[in-house]
Amino acid sequence: MINCYKINDEKFKSIYFSVNFTMNSNEQEISQNAILASVLSKSSKKFKNQSEIEKYLNNLYGANFDVNVEKFGDLYNIEFSIECVNKKFLPNNEDVVKYSLKFLHSMIYEQDLSFDSEIVNREKEYILDRIRSKKDDKLKYGVIKTEELICAPDNFSVFLYGSEEYVKNTTSAELYNRYLGMLNSSCITVIVSGNLSGYDDIETEIKDIFSDANSKFSYNELDYDTHNVNGEKNNIEEVNEKSDTNQSVITFGLRVKDTTCDDFFVLNLYNAILGATPSSKLFQNVREKESLAYTVRSRFYRFKSIIIIYAGIEEKNYEKAKQVIEKELEDMKNAKISDEEFNASKSSIIADLAEWKDSKIALSKMLISNLFVYHNTNIKIETMIEKIKEVTLEDVVNVANRINVEKIFLLGGETNE
Amino acid sequence: MNKFQVSVNERLGENTYKTVLKNGLEVYICKKQGFKKKIGMFGTKYGSIINDFVDITTNERMRVPDGIAHFLEHKLFEQEGANALDLFSKIGVSSNAYTTFDHTVYFFETIDKFKEGIELLIKLVKTPYFTKENVDKEQGIIGQEIMMYDDDPSFAVYFNALRAMYNTHPVRIDIAGTIESISHITKDLLYTCYNTFYSPQNMFIIVVGDVDVNETVKLIEENIKLYEKDYDKKLEVKEVTKYIEQDKEAICKKEIRKKMPVYMPKLCMGYKLKNVEKEEIIKRQVVCDIISDLYFSKITPFFEAEYNKGILSDPVSFDFEGTSSFSHVVINAESTKIDELKNDIHNYINKIKKEDVDKELFEIVKKKKIGNIIKDSDNLNVSYRRIIETLLEKVDVYTDVEILENITVNDIKSFLNELEDEKLVFSIVE
Repeated sequence: MINCYKINDEKFKSIYFSVNFTMNSNEQEISQNAILASVLSKSSKKFKNQSEIEKYLNNLYGANFDVNVEKFGDLYNIEFSIECVNKKFLPNNEDVVKYSLKFLHSMIYEQDLSFDSEIVNREKEYILDRIRSKKDDKLKYGVIKTEELICAPDNFSVFLYGSEEYVKNTTSAELYNRYLGMLNSSCITVIVSGNLSGYDDIETEIKDIFSDANSKFSYNELDYDTHNVNGEKNNIEEVNEKSDTNQSVITFGLRVKDTTCDDFFVLNLYNAILGATPSSKLFQNVREKESLAYTVRSRFYRFKSIIIIYAGIEEKNYEKAKQVIEKELEDMKNAKISDEEFNASKSSIIADLAEWKDSKIALSKMLISNLFVYHNTNIKIETMIEKIKEVTLEDVVNVANRINVEKIFLLGGETNE
Repeated sequence: MNKFQVSVNERLGENTYKTVLKNGLEVYICKKQGFKKKIGMFGTKYGSIINDFVDITTNERMRVPDGIAHFLEHKLFEQEGANALDLFSKIGVSSNAYTTFDHTVYFFETIDKFKEGIELLIKLVKTPYFTKENVDKEQGIIGQEIMMYDDDPSFAVYFNALRAMYNTHPVRIDIAGTIESISHITKDLLYTCYNTFYSPQNMFIIVVGDVDVNETVKLIEENIKLYEKDYDKKLEVKEVTKYIEQDKEAICKKEIRKKMPVYMPKLCMGYKLKNVEKEEIIKRQVVCDIISDLYFSKITPFFEAEYNKGILSDPVSFDFEGTSSFSHVVINAESTKIDELKNDIHNYINKIKKEDVDKELFEIVKKKKIGNIIKDSDNLNVSYRRIIETLLEKVDVYTDVEILENITVNDIKSFLNELEDEKLVFSIVE
């Protein structure tokens, strides 16, 4: 049995199918999952190599096939997706949907299970490259490092592609076991999003094609926020890492205490007022008023109840940037938020939510994330908009007083001319 | 009532309407039935490569500092000290602006504040506000932006390829300029550039979304009139004179290597080409898009071999870039074995130039491209990009769809033979 959800909107011309395996994974399993996803995307029993796969997909009018890995907090998700055009819009009304679905199934369930060591080694190299090049983009790395600092030892703190050590040591036999783990110890969600006109029986068809899929866990059996951190941290830890670049990166790792799932809406607003929009406090002060940075933002992590602030600055302005950011955080706590800031942030979130309706993929992502947070209730975007509307200034200030800075990180530049 | 020129594309089930207002401003509306989002965009045919021109107010020829078009973009998206992104954000609308080699655009995206968005967009672009203080402050922010790009290996490898290909053409200069060049920008220079390039006959407005076409044009016209007192009396529109020096045919340098703190080295190869115009530019884009798939994508034995050798992990990209004043192909790739990759691509291109095109594979790729064009029409951003591309070249909006449907193997073959070894450059960041 699988969980299957449909989102139909006839303004689109294509259909996005997404098959998700969501599971608990520790550092070793994450490393193996990353290799596994990569191996599975490259061949199957029927398709011997990438060229055969591509030829087949091109013939389906360029269906887009992808295997994507993602963290849902402490859970790991492997998504197999394919996007193809609705028959209504193709020359001679050629129907490629069934072929696309069967193809997707074959890439998951009809695999060559010998996990040939030559192929595995090649994919291990690919994942190792991903791990080793994570510092190539400094801002991104600053954020990754902060996630790690603030969330260790939770599984979320592990890099998306795992660690060098575990990847290197993975054997074909272990990979086979991980494959079985993925198939048999996951929560499996299938989402169909797009123009379903002419495909009334799509759900039955999916269930037929994926009849061998078996979802082991339901949404409330998997814990996306294990929060293994012991006790509260009252002292702020500053961490510094040298880097041979022109510009430096400063980040703040914040934690929200005692969250419930309805805090999601308040925190979204808190984050928007703090640093997620151009009218936010950080953008206005760090960038516009003090000219300290071009990029400055804050990001709220729904599954982990943390917020990360990041900015690209000059190293000599580190203390100054720290002061400005700290002051804005204090202002949030002390309700120094104007009506204008409050309302602008609210309408910006509402507009973002409404805009998701124009994207098949965003709708699909929203749906699965709500499934995990709200356990099975299929929350609509309209409901979410209503909830955002109800948030008051008091709610935001209350939540602000439950937020503490735990880490401040500086990725320092040394080559300033 | 305004007269419309309508471009219809049946494959996409989409119509684009064009009209020219009395003051010379071009308005394009792409109607997207059923979509919630609406995009409003105000643009000028002015970008980083236009540094030499006739000042429209004095009729004198001017040379301005590098990076001024981008600087102007930053300053214009601001009003009396408030950043435009913020002003839009306050009415619940998201916005942005960007500068390219040959155009600059300001745009917003909204669900239900379209009228307010258009009002604010036009107000911002039509009311410049430059002071010594706000110019000084912007030098700090743009300085950080330039430093950010300086640390970006993809950016460095690409611009070095341009610098290797071009000797004097301004395309070799960073869009944002340098910290040194922007220090020469003053409020008076900004006003000069503004008055010349932000005059209506050099500009365009694009709207994409499910809007009423007549109502929208009326709304735009009413708002433009607020800032142009002589709008109804306007008798003639004066063209803007821009001087863009043509580069000499030969390349500047064969190879540029740069050391940066990266794990994954990057390669950017460039083939300098003879300039073409109008439909030929769009055709080169379509042809290169097909070549990219036909010879470099995962479908090819080339990729399979490079992948198995551990040289490539992701396919090489093969893109055309050009206007009427510059023209080239850029090939981007990354690898830990960068020199092997460089030689392999080079030899491979010389080999395919001599061979016949695989007709069966060509048909498969063409099928994919047709599917992609349909899928892409679910994305409103693709519509405005297509409009910008075609209005700059003064061709019909759906030229690319038309060209794609009629493309043949001969087009591929003849383009490949325009890639000359003497015009090839290499840029590496390691």
